[in-house]
Amino acid sequence: MITTKSVKVGKNRKLYSLYLFLLPSILVTLLFSYLPMFSNYIAFLNYKFSNGWMGLGSPFVGLKNFSFISKQWFWEIAGRTVLYSSTTLLFSFPAPLILALLLNEIKNKTYKRVVQTVSYIPHFISWVTVSGLFYLFLTVDSSGIVNNVLALMGFTDRVSFMQKPELFLPFLVLSQMWKEIGWGTILYLAALTTINPELYEAASIDGASRMKRVWHITLPSLLPTTSILLIFSLGHLFGSNFDQVFNMQNSVIRQYTDTIDIFNYYNGVQNQQYSLSAAVGLFQGLITFVLIMVTNHVTKRVSDTGII
Amino acid sequence: MMQRRFKLSKPQISKRKAMSFIAKTPGEQVFDIANVFIMAVLCLLTIYPFWYVTIMALNNGQDAATSPIWLWPRKFTLDNFIYVLQYKSLQQAYVVTILRCVIGAILSVFVNMLAAYALSKRFLPGRKAILYFFMMPMFIGGSIISYYVVLVKLGLRNNFLVYVLPGAFAFFTMVLMRTYMEGIPNEIEESAMLDGASYLSIFIRIILPLCKPVMAAFAFFAIVGGWLDLYTNLLFVTKRELFTLQYILYMVIKSSEARNLVDTAMNSELIKRMINERMKAELPTPEVIKMAVMVVVTFPLLFIYPFFQKYFVHGMMVGAIKA
Repeated sequence: MITTKSVKVGKNRKLYSLYLFLLPSILVTLLFSYLPMFSNYIAFLNYKFSNGWMGLGSPFVGLKNFSFISKQWFWEIAGRTVLYSSTTLLFSFPAPLILALLLNEIKNKTYKRVVQTVSYIPHFISWVTVSGLFYLFLTVDSSGIVNNVLALMGFTDRVSFMQKPELFLPFLVLSQMWKEIGWGTILYLAALTTINPELYEAASIDGASRMKRVWHITLPSLLPTTSILLIFSLGHLFGSNFDQVFNMQNSVIRQYTDTIDIFNYYNGVQNQQYSLSAAVGLFQGLITFVLIMVTNHVTKRVSDTGII
Repeated sequence: MMQRRFKLSKPQISKRKAMSFIAKTPGEQVFDIANVFIMAVLCLLTIYPFWYVTIMALNNGQDAATSPIWLWPRKFTLDNFIYVLQYKSLQQAYVVTILRCVIGAILSVFVNMLAAYALSKRFLPGRKAILYFFMMPMFIGGSIISYYVVLVKLGLRNNFLVYVLPGAFAFFTMVLMRTYMEGIPNEIEESAMLDGASYLSIFIRIILPLCKPVMAAFAFFAIVGGWLDLYTNLLFVTKRELFTLQYILYMVIKSSEARNLVDTAMNSELIKRMINERMKAELPTPEVIKMAVMVVVTFPLLFIYPFFQKYFVHGMMVGAIKA
């Protein structure tokens, strides 16, 4: 709680030490956030790495690098990026919420805590590990558990799961859900504790079933938290989880499963096509900015909460 | 005094028990049982993959290749782990990773705490401008390629600092710390001011000790982030001595690094002695080596996090309420 008195604590001290406190963070932000922001300028140049900072010395070529907007290959990748992120969002956004609601109904406190602790485990492993586990279980070799189970059930052919491009999206969704469903419940469960239990009691006395209580009390109380999380997620629709896609891919399906971020990595960092990747990245950043603004505006209209 | 006179003839029922007298429909009872069952399935699905990796890593390689292993190692051996732990690149990666996590966490906590304290003073001139300065990059970002170019030009390629410097400040972290600080009563600071303390000594002697929970939570997040990070190594480090554990794991899983591991590990004294003691040299297969590396890279973090659970749950709750 901040009283008017508190804001003046120490007002008469020498202020320069406070600015010194801010120096490290300002430096870091300048170097690692603003400098890259301005370096996006290389999207408008024919950039050669050996030339100077921020493209000094590279010829200005205007919008030439943006010609990818008219090319089909780009929209194939862009469309795939949006497909991946929207499908993943569709399934893995409600999942932690539902799990939180279910966890909330567990009566035994110890059981609830054990389940929670276990559910957090996949959050503390990297996508390298997760994709390693997926490949391990789905491998076509004799040790692949899924194939062995299928064999026990009578299927004769062993399926090479990870080499089928059409299965990539389901695996993305499944792996995302497995990894983050537990961790995602934390925010919701925290919000659930702020709900006044008297509301539930009054509803029970009035004869509301559990479903009705959830629908009329729990969900509306969770609306602010949900809205903010939704804004963040929708705003990044034009992007993807680099770590996840990068690790789940393999050389066989790469050409069918690239997203914009993956493309920028392979083209920009590995193949050194800096200008093109910068242009694509800038375009992506622009669309993301618009998306964030739009979703924030719409959410504000619908539920009175927004981040700006 | 009045209450003493009226003694209840029946013991008071707890509220929870009273609530349970409101009849549970059969549907709700079924739901409760199903819920317990669902949670158990969830736990199984979560734990089994790790169990599987562990028993594979503890099983003899040739034996594991013959037929699948389900619940228990068939031919128990510690060889795979011995080979993996003798691997010089892994040992180096352990040092690099632990260093970057600890240094990164300390640096990040201090940079954020300093900024949070300074920005908690509402009278600071230019405070709003500084806040906007910090907020802008959240909305307008640099792309991967501009980030790459800038960092390389700054000389951070194959440089240990690339692991700790870029992540030293995070706006959201700073805001949460500031919120926590604003909850500290002003009288404490005021009395220190009266005694002639400077901002620095107040920060060190008063703020830091009082903010231990929040510092612990974010130090933990920083350690986790550092341990799991592949991206930085992938983009900016090509020198083997600076590889992190995740990158070693990545190489082992995706390429023939596992064979490389066995070949190089065989040169160690311990392994040579082991092979001499036994009659035949049964080398581990790449598959079980991959499992052992996975265990060695992944499990340390899993053992640490339960100890910090109360801190980060509390930290997330503060974040939830703030939001």
